[in-house]
Amino acid sequence: MQAYLGAIWKCRFFWLSLVKMDLRSRYRGSLLGLCWSLLHPIAMTTILCVVFRFAFHQALDTYAPLVFTGLTFWGFISASVIQGCGCFFQGESYIRQFPAPMAIYPLRNVLGAAFHFGIGIMLAMAIGFVYGPDVREIYGNPSATRFQQLLSLPSLLPTCLLLLMLGWSLSILFGLLSVRFRDTRHLTEIALQGMFYLTPVMYTIDTFKNQQRLTRLLHCNPLVPFLDLIREPILFARVPSLATYAASAAVVMVSVLLAVAALRIEERRLIFHL
Amino acid sequence: MARIELEQVNLTFHVRQERGVRLKDFILKRLFMPSRNPGMKVHALRDINLRLERGDRLGIIGHNGAGKSTILKLLAGIYQPSSGRRVVEGRVSSLFDIALGFEGEANGWENISFRSYLQGETPTSVRAKKQAIAEFSELGDFLNMPVRFYSAGMMVRLAFSIATAIEPEILLVDEVLSVGDLAFQNKARERMREMMAKAHLMVVVSHDLDAMPQMCNRAVWMDHGQVRAMGPCAEVVAAYRASVGGHAIAA
Repeated sequence: MQAYLGAIWKCRFFWLSLVKMDLRSRYRGSLLGLCWSLLHPIAMTTILCVVFRFAFHQALDTYAPLVFTGLTFWGFISASVIQGCGCFFQGESYIRQFPAPMAIYPLRNVLGAAFHFGIGIMLAMAIGFVYGPDVREIYGNPSATRFQQLLSLPSLLPTCLLLLMLGWSLSILFGLLSVRFRDTRHLTEIALQGMFYLTPVMYTIDTFKNQQRLTRLLHCNPLVPFLDLIREPILFARVPSLATYAASAAVVMVSVLLAVAALRIEERRLIFHL
Repeated sequence: MARIELEQVNLTFHVRQERGVRLKDFILKRLFMPSRNPGMKVHALRDINLRLERGDRLGIIGHNGAGKSTILKLLAGIYQPSSGRRVVEGRVSSLFDIALGFEGEANGWENISFRSYLQGETPTSVRAKKQAIAEFSELGDFLNMPVRFYSAGMMVRLAFSIATAIEPEILLVDEVLSVGDLAFQNKARERMREMMAKAHLMVVVSHDLDAMPQMCNRAVWMDHGQVRAMGPCAEVVAAYRASVGGHAIAA
């Protein structure tokens, strides 16, 4: 295990330069520059805001940041999974030439997605700071200022680390699966579409507090604690509870263990299935 | 310290008629009907024993599909043995399939960097070598262009220049590479000779039986995944020649 991680670290210049190249070729020749990363979540947020405003008379000042954080998170997860499906095919020519650890090929997509996620989160933090909640009310302290809200933001650091592990392991799992089964990507896209509606991306669980069965179902969704970890500090100026961290860490642990087990079985024979 | 040791190495793998299985087929067919996409077992290498020390130059000969390239890939660590022991000590550099694995969107310079990283270089060492690689490739201003616009010849030039810019301890070569136009071929041959001379240990797969005894001191004759003969290069090549010649007469 340690030797494997060491081997990944040893070729860090390789996968880092691939990530850099991907980002550069994506931004090259586009006036939008970094806004590229934000284009999709912003456009989606706008659409959802308009729809929900007219259909459900949703107040925009609380709804827009909620949807935006949700979509930024979802963008990372779906990119990790969908691009993960193709990662070993994408790296096939390297796999055939160099004996590098297989786990670096999913890393390429995940780090790219993480970059976009990071930019999205920074914008979300800015929005949260400007249009954020009334901190005086939240802290029960009439003299609290907006800047106190910033104190809850460092809690996002462990969150990002957990997300990175989650994205990487999911990418490995779906990558290996699609080498074995050629229709994985197709089926995964459909499953993700369903999962999108079962995850509180464009709503909160509280929206359905009258429907107990649905609420219970939503609480079983392993992605829910991650959304809480992101939204609590940004939207509500609160540090997430330890229980939320523990739940997320447990999900990450399961995903990582599965990925390690799958790699252990498939690493040696992957090349024969490419 | 360069050393290669193969002990009772076997390599088997399963291939399928169709490239992959579909998940829905897998689930349905397993339950209800026999597979229409039967697997085939390939026994690519059988009981290979090999011991190479520093200074050895090994040539691998044999007919097509005998397992020559497979051994090379096994030594490079790309294939893992299904059973048996493989020990390879020393920094390996392999010259096969070098024209694969370029990032089309990136330009020549970027491709030089990341391919060098894959060969174990660091940013500092690459910076020192970049210029020499560029000069050897003679691609000039084309290096500022995305490599997807390169012709096949230019691609091979670049690939060869990068792949040979290292000082390997163990050098693995598949076939004599035909690279680029005539002028570049001569240059490439010269570079190969230098590299082979510098390498502590070399394994080369080739069909060029005349050149083999000049390059190698030992040879292995592969036949259907098995070692048919091993020993001093000239002897093995002669035996192989005799057998191939015999076939030709019989036919």
